[in-house]
Amino acid sequence: MAAVRTDSERTEKGWEPKLIAFVCNWCTYAGADAAGTRRMLYSPCVRIIRFPCTGRIDPHFIVRAFEQGADGVLVSGCHPGDCHYVSGNLLARRRFAIFKALMDFLGLEPERLSFSWVSATEAGKWVEVVNSRVEALRKLGPARVPWGTLSGPPPSLNGRSVAPMPQEPLSQVKPDDYQAVESQLRQLAEGLLATGQVKAVLGYGKGSLQQATPIVITNATEANQLIFNEHCVQNLTVYLTSPSFRSLRPLGVVVKACDSKSLVGLLQEDQVKREDFRAIAVSCPGVKVNGRWADKCLSCDQRIGPIADHIVGSSEPKSTAGADPRDWEIQTIEKWAPAERWNFWMNQFSRCIRCYACRAVCPLCYCQPCIADKNRPQWIPTSPHLKGNVSWNLFRALHLAGRCIGCDECTRVCPVGIRLDLINRRLSLEVAKRFGYEPGKDPSVPPPLATYRPNDPGEFIL
Amino acid sequence: MKIWTLQKKRVGDWMAALRAAGKEVLAPCEADGLLRFRPIDDPSAIAVRPGPCPFPFKEWLFPPHQVLFSYQFEGGKVNLREEEVLVNDQVGLFLRPCDAAAIKILDTVFLSDPPDGFYQLRRSHLTIVTLGCRQAVPSCFCPAVGLSPTSLEGSDLFLWEEDDRFLVYGVSEKGDRLVQVSPDLFEPGEGPEPDQLPSPLPFMERKEPLTNVGQKLQGLFESDLWQEVGRTCLGCGICAYLCPTCHCFDIVDESDAYSGIRCRNWDCCAFPLFTLHASGHNPRPDQPSRYRQRVLHKFAYFLQTFQQNMCVGCGRCSLFCPVGMDIYQIVLQLTGRCLV
Amino acid sequence: MKVRNDYLPDLVRIVAMTDETVDLRTLRLVFEDPSLRDRFSFLPGQFGQYSVFGVGEAVFTIASSPTRKGYIECSFKLMGKVTTALRDLEVGDLIGFRGPYGNGFPVETLKGRDLLIIGGGVGMAPLKSLIEFCLDNRRDFGEVTILNGARTVADLLYKKEMEEWGQQEGVRVIQTVDPGGETPEWRGKVGLIPNVLNELAPKPDGKFVVVCGPPIMIKFSLQVLDRLGFSPDRVITTMENKMKCGLGKCGRCNIGPVYVCKDGPVFTAADLARLPRDY
Repeated sequence: MAAVRTDSERTEKGWEPKLIAFVCNWCTYAGADAAGTRRMLYSPCVRIIRFPCTGRIDPHFIVRAFEQGADGVLVSGCHPGDCHYVSGNLLARRRFAIFKALMDFLGLEPERLSFSWVSATEAGKWVEVVNSRVEALRKLGPARVPWGTLSGPPPSLNGRSVAPMPQEPLSQVKPDDYQAVESQLRQLAEGLLATGQVKAVLGYGKGSLQQATPIVITNATEANQLIFNEHCVQNLTVYLTSPSFRSLRPLGVVVKACDSKSLVGLLQEDQVKREDFRAIAVSCPGVKVNGRWADKCLSCDQRIGPIADHIVGSSEPKSTAGADPRDWEIQTIEKWAPAERWNFWMNQFSRCIRCYACRAVCPLCYCQPCIADKNRPQWIPTSPHLKGNVSWNLFRALHLAGRCIGCDECTRVCPVGIRLDLINRRLSLEVAKRFGYEPGKDPSVPPPLATYRPNDPGEFIL
Repeated sequence: MKIWTLQKKRVGDWMAALRAAGKEVLAPCEADGLLRFRPIDDPSAIAVRPGPCPFPFKEWLFPPHQVLFSYQFEGGKVNLREEEVLVNDQVGLFLRPCDAAAIKILDTVFLSDPPDGFYQLRRSHLTIVTLGCRQAVPSCFCPAVGLSPTSLEGSDLFLWEEDDRFLVYGVSEKGDRLVQVSPDLFEPGEGPEPDQLPSPLPFMERKEPLTNVGQKLQGLFESDLWQEVGRTCLGCGICAYLCPTCHCFDIVDESDAYSGIRCRNWDCCAFPLFTLHASGHNPRPDQPSRYRQRVLHKFAYFLQTFQQNMCVGCGRCSLFCPVGMDIYQIVLQLTGRCLV
Repeated sequence: MKVRNDYLPDLVRIVAMTDETVDLRTLRLVFEDPSLRDRFSFLPGQFGQYSVFGVGEAVFTIASSPTRKGYIECSFKLMGKVTTALRDLEVGDLIGFRGPYGNGFPVETLKGRDLLIIGGGVGMAPLKSLIEFCLDNRRDFGEVTILNGARTVADLLYKKEMEEWGQQEGVRVIQTVDPGGETPEWRGKVGLIPNVLNELAPKPDGKFVVVCGPPIMIKFSLQVLDRLGFSPDRVITTMENKMKCGLGKCGRCNIGPVYVCKDGPVFTAADLARLPRDY
């Protein structure tokens, strides 16, 4: 790529680390200023960019800095409680905890990305932080970013053959489990349409090639076209925000337990009105992708999700829930060295062809327009080269952090097999661990990255 | 047409000879769960499955990302630098007949006046070795668009599997030259005309002709049917990007303070941005109207411009559609021949 | 290996700029390559791809007449990414140009005819090229009536040119602004172009009409012309679709089987009637 300095240029003799510091105006900038007026010496390798508040510093700025050739990034602002805008730094703390977890998981060397609280009086701390960061970068050498060429084959998950993840939990599932639900579903849909409680029912029907495909029924007599079986994998709630479905409100939408969680997200974020849809919750024993039980189903312990206006079939919790194979794969990846992880993920992202199917099937990717489609500024290069692909996949992962309910539709449809499910799941686990939050439960609480607690863990902050 | 036989176990020797002659061999192989045409040395890496390779050969002629030229900014001046394209002679090995036919369709677009230099160069270096289909998969509908599991459209050599050997049909001079690279591997042979080969054609179910539906579809332009069939389209680019004939592209600049590139990237008519004017006006404001464009472009407009359909019946779009939209079935439905 | 590369632009230098309105600017451009300055030829109504390096390309019609050699002009409205970047440039800066593309106005067919030229907003740009072409070949064309409209008085473009054209023999200029867009000093008409056209009620009499402007204005003007008895093959208009390549390849500007960049942008009303309403 012509637009970017080549790696060889960057490793030429005389290389000095390039540390970009995003600092808040009120504390750290003043602290750095104090260091200057006191004539304190510190590394000239730092480039300071001033923001009104750390709350204004979007992780995308950091991605962009690395993209443009930074060797390390430091974000620094006011200590908790000192924010000029009361809580900007507390919101930032949550966001950066997640961003750091993401970059660690992908294999960016941890020393390249640091956070610190430096007040206006802490000139000494500023000097210390900058010097220690620059020294750490000097030891590491030039960044592998901007996402340069990687040597050697990437490690392979190969998980499928060695995963100690038996498929037994669901071996008890019988076709009858679906058939009973299917016939009740047809009756219910017929009734809802006949009585005008819904204008249309969005459910599954038999596809000409695929075994189940989304269909829209507007007439009670068509209700027998609805099916429910182990192939009904799509998350139909994605259509609730589609303009083409506006005229069908109130819409009856068939949801499985997992899909129902995305309704929570949509309500939480004011994307659908409660009166515009009726959730027809089908009791789901599990669904299959390419002939295998979907990963998400193996650990699922619910038949019916949180939003259910009509329940079809049993709402007993499932006794079959086992461990989640995605977690096993995440653990496998986390055992690798950062360089191996980076290699693995860069190889994954390099395959992306930017069909945006991940975005299209995601019920929570509803933005119009999506940030990837905005060109002033062009946050995400549209080209399907590694730089653009990394940008796109990082942005999407960040936007879904704390929101993704793990339906894994993005991974199911990805034509090049990128394991987005693992990234999303990893961030979900981080959100659960740090903030005790689980997406898709309660529509009345704010999303975790739009709020804070004064005592959120900040152990990663210098 | 010349016919030879090639022992299956000698394919590796042939590949080695081709490589020795300076040619790169591209064949479907599996890497990390992904089947794609890749340059290979080792014949055991070849992964041929029934039906077409999920990722089409198109990327080797019309890459997803092509730098058109680059530039440097220098004190108020701009220095343009033309992009040099390095291409070895390439052999596309084990394409399916539908994929070979698709390349002829791409040719009509990119080689018609004014020819596209990047495509032209790559195309002139490519020889296509097709493997006839002994087995069709449920998504296949090549008979519906006038092709078949043994059609020779676009092929230079056509192979047919027979026990432990291939029947090799020389379709073009370019193909014959590949045989001449190691003539001792190829025995003169005999075989039926390709259309007499025992292909799965008689057993294929999806063969209702889609070749003469252009006028009928265009007559439906204002119809509400599009709302019905296009409503569930999610607007992703899978169908276009996995289609061996789709060729729409975008042109963008990427730059920093010192330099930049102008490049062309694959684009897709299902994206809202595809036709969005800077003024905010969008001639195709919703997903059904975008889906209509896709169907009409393939089965009506292209036919008017280039006297052929822009579809080879490979079935990839339908097989990989996240919501199972099946273009074959939808065109039948639109033209009133069959309702699901 | 280097390949035929139709995407490679020629460098042109901005030698002058005129602010027509608050958001509409005309640039005068001269090819850096001296041999191109004379060699470059085009038809009124043809367009080019103008590039701001590092930002991208945008399509504008060539607003100057091919009869005026040595330079080309384009008028653009501040709209998107490229036009914003273009507005930041100054006289002396370099941009890229490739073209000319498209069919252009059928000037041979128009010869010997009376012309009614209707332009709204920035739609005047291709018409300026045509008008100047007619005036520079005055004896080849009959009477020229120009109906020009804009939202407000401040949005009228080519003010100086309009005045000059109006003084020429056989040229009549009628200007109108949308209701509410007039000023106390405004002496022209007030009303939407289709309404003014309806009121003027020109007789077909073998005239050719050329209409350019926003889609909604074209739509209603064509209806009025039809009512007034103008034959659809004598009503000429231009289409404006999003374009990228300009070469009939990228598939973006299609209206049915037609590539606006290659087969257009100039169409007769009769042509349009045959196309699907996909614009």
